[in-house]
Amino acid sequence: MITESREVAAFSVKNLTVSYGPRPALLDVSVEVEQGQLIGVIGPNGSGKSTFIKSLLGFVKRDFGSIEILGQPIEKAKGMVAYVPQRGSVDWDYPITVEEVALMGRYGNIPWYKSASKEDKRIVKECLDMVRMSDFRKRQIGQLSGGQQQRVFMARALAQGADLLLLDEPFAGVDAATENAILDVLESAKAAGRTLVVVHHDLATAAEYFDKLLLIKQRLFAYGDPSAVLKEDLLSEVYEGELKVFATLKQNGHI
Amino acid sequence: MTDWLYQTFGIHLTQTYFLKALIGGSIVACVCGVVGCLVILRRMAFLGDALSHAMIAGVVCGYLFMKLAFGIEANAPAMLIGSIIAAGITVALIGFVSKASRLKEDTVIGIMYCGIFALGIVILSIFQKHVHIDIMHFIMGDILGIGDSDMWLTVIVAVIVLTVIILFFRFFQITSFDPIMAASIGIPVLLFDYILTTCMSFVVVSAVSMVGVILSVGLLITPAATAYLLTDRLNRMMIIAAISGVTSVIGGLYLSVWLNAAGGVSIMLFCTLQFIAVLIFAPRYGLMADWLRRKRLVPQQLLEDILRSVHKLGGENVPISNIANSIKVELGKVKKAITSMISEGLLDKQNSQVTLTGKGQLHSKRMMRSHRLWESYLKHVGMEMEKIHDQAEQLEHIHDEETVDYIDDKLGHPTKDPHGEEIPEDFIHTPKGEIAPVSLLRTGRHAEIQRIKDNTIDIQLTPGEMISLGERQDNGATWVVIREDGEQIYLNHKQADAILVKTID
Repeated sequence: MITESREVAAFSVKNLTVSYGPRPALLDVSVEVEQGQLIGVIGPNGSGKSTFIKSLLGFVKRDFGSIEILGQPIEKAKGMVAYVPQRGSVDWDYPITVEEVALMGRYGNIPWYKSASKEDKRIVKECLDMVRMSDFRKRQIGQLSGGQQQRVFMARALAQGADLLLLDEPFAGVDAATENAILDVLESAKAAGRTLVVVHHDLATAAEYFDKLLLIKQRLFAYGDPSAVLKEDLLSEVYEGELKVFATLKQNGHI
Repeated sequence: MTDWLYQTFGIHLTQTYFLKALIGGSIVACVCGVVGCLVILRRMAFLGDALSHAMIAGVVCGYLFMKLAFGIEANAPAMLIGSIIAAGITVALIGFVSKASRLKEDTVIGIMYCGIFALGIVILSIFQKHVHIDIMHFIMGDILGIGDSDMWLTVIVAVIVLTVIILFFRFFQITSFDPIMAASIGIPVLLFDYILTTCMSFVVVSAVSMVGVILSVGLLITPAATAYLLTDRLNRMMIIAAISGVTSVIGGLYLSVWLNAAGGVSIMLFCTLQFIAVLIFAPRYGLMADWLRRKRLVPQQLLEDILRSVHKLGGENVPISNIANSIKVELGKVKKAITSMISEGLLDKQNSQVTLTGKGQLHSKRMMRSHRLWESYLKHVGMEMEKIHDQAEQLEHIHDEETVDYIDDKLGHPTKDPHGEEIPEDFIHTPKGEIAPVSLLRTGRHAEIQRIKDNTIDIQLTPGEMISLGERQDNGATWVVIREDGEQIYLNHKQADAILVKTID
C-alpha cells in the first residue's frame, strides 16, 4: 500500500538500548513521532537525552533495537537528519566563517570531486537570510554572540534540507531576547513542514515552547502533550529530589 | 654592493648541496605546514612527536632486514617502509592501550614513543656491526647532506599528501570541525582519521631526514600555529603555513651558512622567531593588538560620565573644557578619553567642541534609562528620596541588557522615575519590526499580535490582529490595548507580558 508521505512517522524507534558500560544510557525506548511538530526532549542531567539525539543521527552504536527515519531504516537515512550541536561542543576558535559553516550543510549533496555549485551557494545565502545572519557572512564564528552562533548552526541545518532537525540544548545560556529569536526560527521551520526535536533542560518553559514532550531518563517515561507529560507524580519519579523544579512549575501554574 | 649581495646570498646558491637543501627543505616545509594545520586543529601535535621518535626503530629494522636477507646496505625504500610500519604500530598501540586501560591518551602517547624510541636505539647498538646509521644525523637531521633518495622520497610524499588534502579538503574540514555532523551525512569519519594519521606519518618521515627527530614536530606545528594567528579560514591558514614553512627553510639555511650552525636547528630557530614576531605583531590575534585594544579602552565610568555631561550640556557643540568642569576630571584625561570616543563613533569633534553622534545618543539614552530605572528601584526598596540620585549614579553603570530587563520587569515596566521624569522606552527589544511583549510598548505604538505565550491566560486576541496602545491606567499598572474597531482591552502586568507582538512603528 502506498502511504502519503505525510503519514509516515518523522522517526520511529523500537526497543532501543544503548550502553557505554554495564549501565545502559538508553533502555528499551520505543516511540513514534509524527511529522511537522516541535518536540522537546526533557529529563534530568545525564538521563540519556543527548544519547537519544545521537542515536537518531546514527552516531552511537546501538546494542539493540531499530530506528527508522521517515520510513527508512537509519542505515539508509544518511543526510536526512540535520544536527545543531550543543554550544559547549564546538571549537569556537576554529578558523571558519559563518558562510563556510552554513555551506557544510550542503556537503552531503556535493560529490567529492566537485566544488560547491552556484545553487549550493544560493541555498546557503537563503538560509542565512532566513535566520537573519547574512550581514555576518564573513565573520569568524567566535566573534558572534551566543544567539548568533546558535542561528548560524540553524542555517546550516536548514541548508541541509533535512526534514528532521535535531537540536542539542539550543536555549542553554542565551538571554531572553535570543530565546525568542531562536524560537521564531524553530517555528518557521516547523511551518515549512519540518520536524524539530530539541533537547531542553528548563521545565518551566517546556510547556510553552513545544507541541509534544518526550520525558527520558534512561527509559522513555512519557511522550505526549505537555499537559499530559508535566504531571507531578511523573516528574517526581524522574527528577527525584530536584524540588526546585516543582516550585517554579507550580508558581507558573503548569502543574 | 652587488658584490656584497653575491657574497652573502648568491654564492651559496652555486653550491649543489645548498641548492638541494633549499629545494628539498622547502618541499618538506610546505607539506608539513599544510598537514600541520589539521594537526593543531585536531590537537594531535604530541602524536606527531611520537611518530618521529618511533621512526628510528622502523628504520633500523628496515635496514637490518635488507642487509640480512639480501645483503643490501642502507636500502632507502626498505627504511621508509620500516618507518611507516613503525608509525602504524605506534598509533595502533596508543589507540589500544588508551582504550583498554584507564590511562588518558597523552600519557599513553608518552609511554609508547619513549619505549619504541629506546627499543630502536638498543637494536641499533646490538647490531652496530651491521647497521651503519649515524645516530646524530637521525636526532639532529642532516639537511645540508641530503641524499638523492631522500630527495625523491620528499617529492613523492609531497605530491601524494598534497593531492589527498586538496582533493578531500572539505572532508578534512568537516571531520575536524564537527565529526558528529560529518558522520550524520555519511562521511566515514574514522577513515579520514586514518588517512590524516597516515599523511602525518609520511610527512614526519620526510621531515626527520631534514631536521631530525627532535625538531620534525616543530616543522609540523610551528608554521601552522603562525598561520593560525593570521587568518580565520582553513584554506588560507594552509597557504600561509606553507609559505611560513618555506621562508623558514630559506632563512634558516642562510642563517646556518652565515653562523656556521647546523641546518636543522637554524631552520627551527628561524621558524620560531617568525612565530614570535607574528605572536607579537599579528593584526588581530597578536599580543600587541590586544595590548593596544586594552590601552585604548577608556574606563567605562569616565566614558559614561562624559556622555552624560555632553547630553546634559545640550548634546551639540559642547566645549571640552565645560565637560571637564562639569564632571570634575582633569582636562588631559577628558581629552584623551574623547579622542578614543571619537574613534569609537560616539562623538564628533569640531574646534574643541563635541557633538553626540547617533551611536552616542543611543548610548546616553541607554544610561538614562538605566539611571532612571535604578532610581525607581531604589525608591521601590525604600531608600530616602535625597539619597536616591547619588546611589543611582553609581548603579547606572550596571546596565547590561539582562539587568535592565530584570529591573524593568520587577518594577512593572514603569514609565516615570521617582522624580516624575520620563524613563526612555525600551529600545533594544522594541524597535520597528522586532517581536516583543506588549508590556514593553508605550502609548501610541502600533503592533501586530504574534502569539499568546501562556495559554492559561484567557485573552480574546488572535494572532495577526492589529492593535495600538492607549494611555496606561491605575498608576501604570493596567495596560490598555485598543483594537482596530476601537474596543479597549485592559491587561495586568502578567497578561501584558504574555502577549507577543511585532511592532509596526
